[in-house]
Amino acid sequence: MSTRRGFIKSTGALALFAAGLGGVPSFIARAANSNKILSPYKKNKKLVCIFQRGAMDGLMAVTPFTDEYLKAARPTLFMSAAKVSSSNPLIDLDGRFGLHPSMKAFEPLFREKRLGIVHAVGSPNNTRSHFDAQDYMESGTPFNKGTNTGWLNRAVGLLGHEAATPFQAVSITSSLPKSFYGDNASLAINNLQDFAIQMRGNPMAAHMAAKSFEDLYDQTSSSLLNKTGKESFEAVKMLQKADTKNYKPANGAVYPDNQIGNSLKQIAQLIKMDVGLEVAFTECGGWDTHYNQGTETGQFSRNVADLSNAITAFWTDLAAYQDEVTLMTMTEFGRTVKQNGTGGTDHGRGSCLFVLGNDVNGGIVHGNMPILAKENLEDGRDVPVTTDFRSVFSEVADKHLSINDDKVLFPEWDGKKIGVMRGY
Amino acid sequence: MKRYVQTIFLLFLLIGSAPILSSYMGAENGHVESKSIKFPYRQAGLTDRQAAAHILGRFTYGATPGQIDEVLKIGLEKWFEKQLDANQPDDSLNANLAQYEALSKDNKEIFNTYLDGGQIRRKAIKAGLIPQDSSGRIEYKERKEMIDSFMKANGYKPEGELIRQLINQKILRAAYSNNQLQEVMASFWYNHFNVSLTKNESIRFVPCYERDVIRANSLGKFGDLLLATAKSPAMLTYLDNFRSVASDNNNVNSEAGAKRLRELYAQQLRLGKLGDTSVLAKEIANKIKGFKNSQGLNENYAREIMELHTLGVDGGYTQTDVTNAAKVLTGWTIFPMNEEYGGTQIKKMIEKVGEDKLKEQGYVHDGDFMFAVNKHDKTEKVVLGNTFSAKGGYEEGLKLIDMLAHHKSTAHFICKKLAARFVSDNPPASLVDRMAQTFLDKDGDIRKVLLTMVNSPEFWSKQALREKIKSPFELTISTVRALNAKVTQPYQLANWINKMGERIYYYQAPTGFPDRAQYWINSGSLLNRMNFGLALASKRIPGVTFDLTALNNNHEPESAEAALRVYCKLLMPERNVEETVKRLIPLINDPEIHNKIDAAATKSDVSAATPPPASMTDDNMMMTTSNTDSKKTKEVLKEKLNRKKAPDYTITQLQANAGTNTMLSQVTGIIIGSPEFQRR
Repeated sequence: MSTRRGFIKSTGALALFAAGLGGVPSFIARAANSNKILSPYKKNKKLVCIFQRGAMDGLMAVTPFTDEYLKAARPTLFMSAAKVSSSNPLIDLDGRFGLHPSMKAFEPLFREKRLGIVHAVGSPNNTRSHFDAQDYMESGTPFNKGTNTGWLNRAVGLLGHEAATPFQAVSITSSLPKSFYGDNASLAINNLQDFAIQMRGNPMAAHMAAKSFEDLYDQTSSSLLNKTGKESFEAVKMLQKADTKNYKPANGAVYPDNQIGNSLKQIAQLIKMDVGLEVAFTECGGWDTHYNQGTETGQFSRNVADLSNAITAFWTDLAAYQDEVTLMTMTEFGRTVKQNGTGGTDHGRGSCLFVLGNDVNGGIVHGNMPILAKENLEDGRDVPVTTDFRSVFSEVADKHLSINDDKVLFPEWDGKKIGVMRGY
Repeated sequence: MKRYVQTIFLLFLLIGSAPILSSYMGAENGHVESKSIKFPYRQAGLTDRQAAAHILGRFTYGATPGQIDEVLKIGLEKWFEKQLDANQPDDSLNANLAQYEALSKDNKEIFNTYLDGGQIRRKAIKAGLIPQDSSGRIEYKERKEMIDSFMKANGYKPEGELIRQLINQKILRAAYSNNQLQEVMASFWYNHFNVSLTKNESIRFVPCYERDVIRANSLGKFGDLLLATAKSPAMLTYLDNFRSVASDNNNVNSEAGAKRLRELYAQQLRLGKLGDTSVLAKEIANKIKGFKNSQGLNENYAREIMELHTLGVDGGYTQTDVTNAAKVLTGWTIFPMNEEYGGTQIKKMIEKVGEDKLKEQGYVHDGDFMFAVNKHDKTEKVVLGNTFSAKGGYEEGLKLIDMLAHHKSTAHFICKKLAARFVSDNPPASLVDRMAQTFLDKDGDIRKVLLTMVNSPEFWSKQALREKIKSPFELTISTVRALNAKVTQPYQLANWINKMGERIYYYQAPTGFPDRAQYWINSGSLLNRMNFGLALASKRIPGVTFDLTALNNNHEPESAEAALRVYCKLLMPERNVEETVKRLIPLINDPEIHNKIDAAATKSDVSAATPPPASMTDDNMMMTTSNTDSKKTKEVLKEKLNRKKAPDYTITQLQANAGTNTMLSQVTGIIIGSPEFQRR
């Protein structure tokens, strides 16, 4: 707790007031006195994580299309890579795996070897409960329910320097995700523009109110309210300096006008604002396709189109920053090999994830996907988890953020890596 | 040493007495008596007033002005007993709610009245009113007029209107019901048995679900509540059980069958034996469609009833138990609401065979619920070590639900959740165990469990006081209650609740909203809480009116400092507000700040703009929601509209509205947004 950034602790109400009126913000003042703090303007590496809540069907996103068992198990959901069978077949990645046609935006990134895929990845804990599996994946401790910190929060603590700004770890969500729970400061922002004390028509009154709130939250006995209040006001002050309203993506990038598109756009804004962002998180839903999953069109197809188009726009927008950024998707588990009776799939085990970045060992479908004969399946029904999600997460954190203390990041973890990043 | 032992003994007596006392309370005529009870708050060092404030903070949506005195007058125990009985008259609330016509309708009426855009279009096309493909040929305006008159002629209404009424009534009930505990419990159970409006198929069943299933059983026996949810169209659709049918009879065959049919169809087509319009072709196409859409086992509900509704995720069940429970519940479905979804066939079958005959065969028709024996899995199943015979039919499901309702894990899981709601985010194990024992001893009687809780020292302990953080809904309603505000446009408050992070009725996952401070409090939502306080106090939320001076018996405070003291006490009774006052006094006494605010206020008069009809915008938006995609578009539209809004009110208007000075509303806004007011 006490290791959390303390730049606000020593400053009294007067100093804060001055900061609010346009004086030197407290974090800058403190930064000047501390050599432990990175300059907010130095180029940091950034990790962006997207949680696909609801459990994505990895077998439909990246299909082992030569597998006859899969074909038999999914009479109406199986898709082929052969052009003859469909006008819109799977995109053949390597002769064995095919990318869903609605993710065609990913194909160039894969061919350029910037996009890597890990298949049959998941948690060693075989729970098929969304809520448990998400909890485990976000805490990074698949067998310990009591963990009250998230792996990304621990990652922030392991970066080796104190936060220079309140934007070191930002989640573009309406509430703080479990991944960010913990002692290191993190922010949840749904919309950058709304992030201020607002009194329409009377900025002075708003200012006075902001000042009052800041004082009150500074003295409250509730540590949660106290801590969150401090983080909020620091962030407000920084955002005031940036023109978030009139953001124009670079290189003609067009973000889809939906949740994931808007979230990634805001992360791109923060990256370009140089406000010290190092770990970003956002999420998207709709993956729990028990019913009428669809194939080339339909629910699943729309979801993967939204996701891949948003990520591709993000990457294009950040052309000048690509060396600094790695993006990774995750989902709590996969779905049954066999389709269910209602044109969908039920909760399963292994799924796939995507990693994008210039230090990614891309153009490869990593991991070990067995032939989907019943005897190879977990409990006779699901894609077995052959790659522990921690081996991917820890490798990405290690190679991209130079975090190599796996004992803290993922306690009780053996540290095995699979080479999804270059240099392993 | 001796003294120490004595203390321990006393403590033991004190703690041990709670369940014993509660077991004396009879439940004759559905009334829980608590005559002999004295809640153990004195022992915790609380005064009567403090105890009344605490109990109001936990079992109501916030104290109204003077309510502490009301509680003290009849006594805490008696007040609580009356709340458990939930039969306080609510005439003025009911009169107010009469404006919402959907609230008195049943599922069938709602189902056949409130339709989304797509359903209305399909009906209009079917009625021959608008041509199938009219998009290019008919002007939008003309088309809209046709649809409007079609709706009027048939009494159809937009589904968005239903949702608006649902949301509005929840806000009004919470704010004004005299049966506050019932409302709090209804909200608790709704969240526990969550059904989300994000699921299109469930939307039209939610109003009756909340009214007849949740609220009606919210202070009854847990087993009754569980069974009522299991049989409700809302839950049956939300967790897919309505379409879950025996897989061994149908599923495997159906997939293979569909494939065979497809092949046959293709072959016949190739041979030129079949025109697209031939009867056989249509029949095959229909069969394939039918196979694809409706046949097979779906485990969704079976998993959640164990994981979320009863045992808890660590309650000791396996994947096999889930699959087998799903089999037990096959055939539990909805009785058709009209001729759609196979309604005609079922009606014909009932006419042909007769209800009595069908009953003999094992069919059950109970209100909106139907047990379709032909869809039921007729194999023997084992769930949690209990065998369900192959021929059990509907009774198997009843047995399963009864077993789950009375399971030890369930007692613990439910009581822990209740204690987390009413005591603290991490309730003491001793308290949960005691409540769970009552749950098991008293057949899951929710009122007795609550009594055991309030009778426990843990409920009154220092660790519990002010420990809960209000959810955005609770913050909003407690503000309305504390200010004695009149709400004429509840939807305006819903927009703020949404902004603060609680989109009521729309929590997508079956878990419901987490009941934890950490979930509600983050930097974004916290700022919105403060902004809510400022907006409400300065009367910038349309449709919410109140009189600040009336709260203080029409005395206008003489100074800003006096205002601060008086309104802190009024809005946060029995709280220690000294620190808050001390912190704020230098600020509000600073003449320079006053001048600056006034100057800014005068300046902004120039840019006076008429307040935008925000209410209209939002309500209209709600009126036309149809499918998910257009919902998304509307969200975006709505956001864009919000951004374009001109300044709401000028300060002069604001002062005129408030009937008092800016400083008073400013002070009030700061109190509402203050950390102390976030706690309960």
